[in-house]
Amino acid sequence: MTSMKILIVDDSITIRRIITNALKTVGFPETVEAANGRDALEKLTTTNVDFIITDWNMPEMNGLDFIKQVRANPIFSALPILMITTRGTEHDVIEALQAKVNSYIVKPFTPQELKEKIEGILKTVQVNTI
Amino acid sequence: MKQQELDGILQKAAELKVFCEYGERTVPVIDEIAAFVREISPAIEDLRAVVEVSMVNIPKAAEQLGRVTQATEQASTDILNTLDRMMATLDEVIGSVASGMISSDLGAATKKMAAIVKSLVDKSGWDEDIVKLAEAWDFHLQSMRMSGPTSNLERLLKDLQNDCTEIMLALQVQDITQQHIGAVMGTIQAVAEGLRKLTTGFFSTMADENLPPLPPLLIQPDVENVGDVERKKMVEALLSKARAGQL
Repeated sequence: MTSMKILIVDDSITIRRIITNALKTVGFPETVEAANGRDALEKLTTTNVDFIITDWNMPEMNGLDFIKQVRANPIFSALPILMITTRGTEHDVIEALQAKVNSYIVKPFTPQELKEKIEGILKTVQVNTI
Repeated sequence: MKQQELDGILQKAAELKVFCEYGERTVPVIDEIAAFVREISPAIEDLRAVVEVSMVNIPKAAEQLGRVTQATEQASTDILNTLDRMMATLDEVIGSVASGMISSDLGAATKKMAAIVKSLVDKSGWDEDIVKLAEAWDFHLQSMRMSGPTSNLERLLKDLQNDCTEIMLALQVQDITQQHIGAVMGTIQAVAEGLRKLTTGFFSTMADENLPPLPPLLIQPDVENVGDVERKKMVEALLSKARAGQL
């Protein structure tokens, strides 16, 4: 099991629990949660995080704006980000990629899908830092 | 009368003549417009009545749907809590089964037997037959752990654990339906707001400040169908294009 700490950002308590449990089953037990983008930005300043999983549709600050804020901040800009959302149009995916999200999953997801996406992102990030 | 004054009067008369001619053309048009307004005003009045009722009912419907969402989220949380307890119990039982202890009674009995066999071996001074008994007991214990009911039980328990995980994942539907409900409410609210603006200009018997406020739109009314295999394939295709620098 890895000690990588993952920040889960979603306004649904149910989804945060499901993602947390799914991450535990695939070997990522360390997680921290936030209910929206604004809350998540605050968490980033107080907790060392290695990976971000975020929803899109959230009150206060949505996922897309959150990602843009993270990428604009030199302290956190290199953090890998996976978006898990119900939004699944071509336009949505392109918009998210333009905001520099690393990968994208349309809900509902399986733990295996989650694991493959995270490992894929980590591999890409490692390659880019070599 | 001076010529200048006469010219001024003639000018005014000509202007008056143009005005009257214009009036002759416009009066029928104004009559038609008035007839049209008289004809549609009952329909506008009916529409206004419907919109007024909707402006009261739509916030109530939004509130009710909000309560539905809260209730389903609470139910999902309760199910997740129960599943967490089940998974923890299953972990414990699987651990016990894997270490060969099917039940605490059987485990205690097994330990006792092992102690008795060892004592026998020591007391007999490593008598050949007693040593063979000890070896046979050891083999039997290993067999119990590696095959038969124990391994089947472990497999069944792990299947139960997987079923718990499946139930947990199925609860994602609560979030998806909440988003769909929000999108539907958003569409209804947008239509209602449009109708309200349309009918407000005709009548002012119900002032805007007497209408209950519409709840805020959390989700834009454009959430499309999600979760289907084609949608995921499309997303993966776009991600591949992005990685290849084609986007």
